[in-house]
Amino acid sequence: MKRREFIRNSSLATSALLIPNFLKVFENADPSKIGHKKLVIVHLKGGNDGLNTIVPVTNDIYYRSRPKIGIKKSNTLKLNDELGFNENLKPLKELYDKGYLSIINNVGYPNPSRSHFTSSEIWQTASDHENILDTGWVGRYLDHYGKKPYNAIHVDDHLSLALRGASLNGIAVKNSRQLYMSLQESDFNEILSHYSKDHLTEHNLGYLYQTMIDAKSSAKYLYDTALRSKLSNNYPKNSILANQLKVIGQFINSRLDTSVYYASLSGFDTHSAQKSRHNKLLTDYSEALLTFVEDLKLNNTFKDTLILTFTEFGRRVKQNYSDGTDHGAANNLFIVGNNLKRAGLYNLPADLKDLDDNGDLKYEIDFREVYATIIDKWLNVDDRRILNRSFSKLNFI
Amino acid sequence: MEQKHILHLYWRAGFGLKPKELIDLSKYSREQIVDDLFEKSKDIVPLEKDLSYFDYYTSKDVRNDKKKRQELNQKDRENTKILNTIWLKRIATTKRVLRERMTLFWANHFVCKDTPTRHVLAYNTILRTHALGNFREFVKAISKEPSMIRFLNLSQNRKNSPNENFSRELLELFTLGEGNYSEKDIKECARAFTGYHYNFEGGFRFIQLWHDYNEKTFLGKSGNFDGDDIIDIILEQKQCARYICEKVYSYFVNEELDEDNVRKMTDIFYQDYNIEGLMRFVFMSDWFYEKKNIGTKIKSPVDLIVGIQRIVPVYFTKNNELFRLQSLLDQYLLFPPNVAGWKGGKNWITTNSLMLRIKLPSMLLEKESYSYQYKGNLKNLKVVTVKNKYQEKLTVYVDWKTYKENVKKLSLKVLTNTLVLCDINGGTKQYISSFGKRPSKKNLVKLMSLPEYQMC
Repeated sequence: MKRREFIRNSSLATSALLIPNFLKVFENADPSKIGHKKLVIVHLKGGNDGLNTIVPVTNDIYYRSRPKIGIKKSNTLKLNDELGFNENLKPLKELYDKGYLSIINNVGYPNPSRSHFTSSEIWQTASDHENILDTGWVGRYLDHYGKKPYNAIHVDDHLSLALRGASLNGIAVKNSRQLYMSLQESDFNEILSHYSKDHLTEHNLGYLYQTMIDAKSSAKYLYDTALRSKLSNNYPKNSILANQLKVIGQFINSRLDTSVYYASLSGFDTHSAQKSRHNKLLTDYSEALLTFVEDLKLNNTFKDTLILTFTEFGRRVKQNYSDGTDHGAANNLFIVGNNLKRAGLYNLPADLKDLDDNGDLKYEIDFREVYATIIDKWLNVDDRRILNRSFSKLNFI
Repeated sequence: MEQKHILHLYWRAGFGLKPKELIDLSKYSREQIVDDLFEKSKDIVPLEKDLSYFDYYTSKDVRNDKKKRQELNQKDRENTKILNTIWLKRIATTKRVLRERMTLFWANHFVCKDTPTRHVLAYNTILRTHALGNFREFVKAISKEPSMIRFLNLSQNRKNSPNENFSRELLELFTLGEGNYSEKDIKECARAFTGYHYNFEGGFRFIQLWHDYNEKTFLGKSGNFDGDDIIDIILEQKQCARYICEKVYSYFVNEELDEDNVRKMTDIFYQDYNIEGLMRFVFMSDWFYEKKNIGTKIKSPVDLIVGIQRIVPVYFTKNNELFRLQSLLDQYLLFPPNVAGWKGGKNWITTNSLMLRIKLPSMLLEKESYSYQYKGNLKNLKVVTVKNKYQEKLTVYVDWKTYKENVKKLSLKVLTNTLVLCDINGGTKQYISSFGKRPSKKNLVKLMSLPEYQMC
């Protein structure tokens, strides 16, 4: 390879060499850029049992429906006279006490699907059940307002449908080094160093080369930029969600030009012997979440971060014969942030006397109203362009 | 026939060729080669999967005993995944490549996903049985398959409570395409398909009690139609032939439709809905071999994996790795993302999937891999070879002996011409010329790591 050619091809590397990154940290934190406000999405996969998460401690129907898995009032942490947090949610209650948590009840959509797959797809694409779109809602945000794949990051190996757009996809990474190291593991860099521009005019092949160039610059960007902040040591060990949030914490604290982060925790499909498993999951979730908030606060980034926790559906009010619960419909959803307009309970919990034909909670708030609110009031862009129609806004931020 | 054209035909109608197969074929004419392709695919051989575990369950058990039901469900889940590996292996090794390619095409047309292995296997068998047959019989057979009946809720479609799911997809995705029917047509269509059900073993069951015997009006015609009648009425519409031809063209020829060519195909297909006739017409047409159609398609993940395996036999020894690979590359066979199937083309490509695709040959074929890194500063740059410590390797057995026989006495140039169909860019040509002249393992991996190798 000619020297000049090399310099051109590695211009990314060289410019990074000339100006040490730590000098540029705050220079880059330009509030007008995409990604000034951060949204972190946590998907509790499998369908979290909302009723055993926020427990209606004075409701007879709840206790009658769940003779073996209902949670006694004494095993909850008081939220108000009627509700208590599952006692494994102490860290979440701490956030609640500080006014950082808003609980939105009875979130769902018309004609609910009880298939994990379909309902997750509906939530990820922000679709009607009858007409499921093939791009994710964050993907469509990228289509309209994104510039680079890393504007939306899924901390995983595999990119969620939520982050797939028609013209721009987000990126999946498990840590800041992964992509960069991965480039070294193949002829990737070698191949790119030889391309001449005429590659890019060819239709599909050109697209591959363009994607490779983007991949390289994204990898380099993540690797370099994330160095501005260290991974915190405070997160719980051996926790899948904590590991993901730790990486997201590093990314946010490094002021990465990323506006949406995506993480998930599996295991909520508790059809049998639910209690101990569910308790462990709630512990993992809430400990990870609290540590994350503390990590952000320490770095002064919490004020610009909003955390949305959702699950594809709630679970049936009545327990089943295996001391578990089957797939349900509407559910509660958590918003965590610094300056919530309506912290605490956003609306009243479900009326267990008024269930649908399956014995599931009815929805009162369409989940897309939550999305529309976040897109409009937090990400400050036009929600109709992303959700393809207008939804009424809520009042939590 | 020109080598590039043979290779093009074999990538679109099959899964590529070995260097020597390509050389051998090049002495024949287009007609001979196309004939041979059809001749080799004449037999219909279902996937072979042992289902004896199912003998221990009766429909009564499963209906009444929750534990047994869950147990069978669990076994089905495992066995359907195993069926996935059996199918992949078939694609990688079969001589009946055209039938296999067509089966794959139809699996992404009549998209279906199901758990009970016996149903999934039967469905796959229907796809390969009709893959080159008559489209009319094909659609009718599909509508009576238990997996389809389950997948699109036909068994919930009853006289007094119709379920439109199947009807909508029948019209929208399987036959006419969106906008060529009314909402009323969907409703009437659903009424005609009432009573469709299946039995435990996997046969079709028609339940008269659930069927709506009253008159229906569908696409302008009135009568006491049943499901088969509806399919006949749909096929009377030339739009149906056109819709299928567009789909065939975009999969086998070019994503960008050519009005003229599609019209010619439609005229032929509409006569008798004979799929073999249609495909023969496509592969014999001069326009199929136009430059703009050659090497311009992005390989599907299955094409990529199987294409490598057909050059060097690679056997996966850990099923889980194969599952994970498919899911990371976004094409997990038998587990389509939704009823519309895989979109293909650029949709295969994300930053992550492309990086994995480029790395895949090395993950499969190299025990140890090396990369070049730049060391030093701008004034004194050095290229150094560094061993990759962290690259994840797949647990596979690679049959290098067969590969060596396949490339015996051949030059790297011949191998390159077998592996890369699209035009190679000037810079990349230079890069390849630095490999030397031998089709060594290392050079094979280098060639397969090129983005050009992602094209077919």
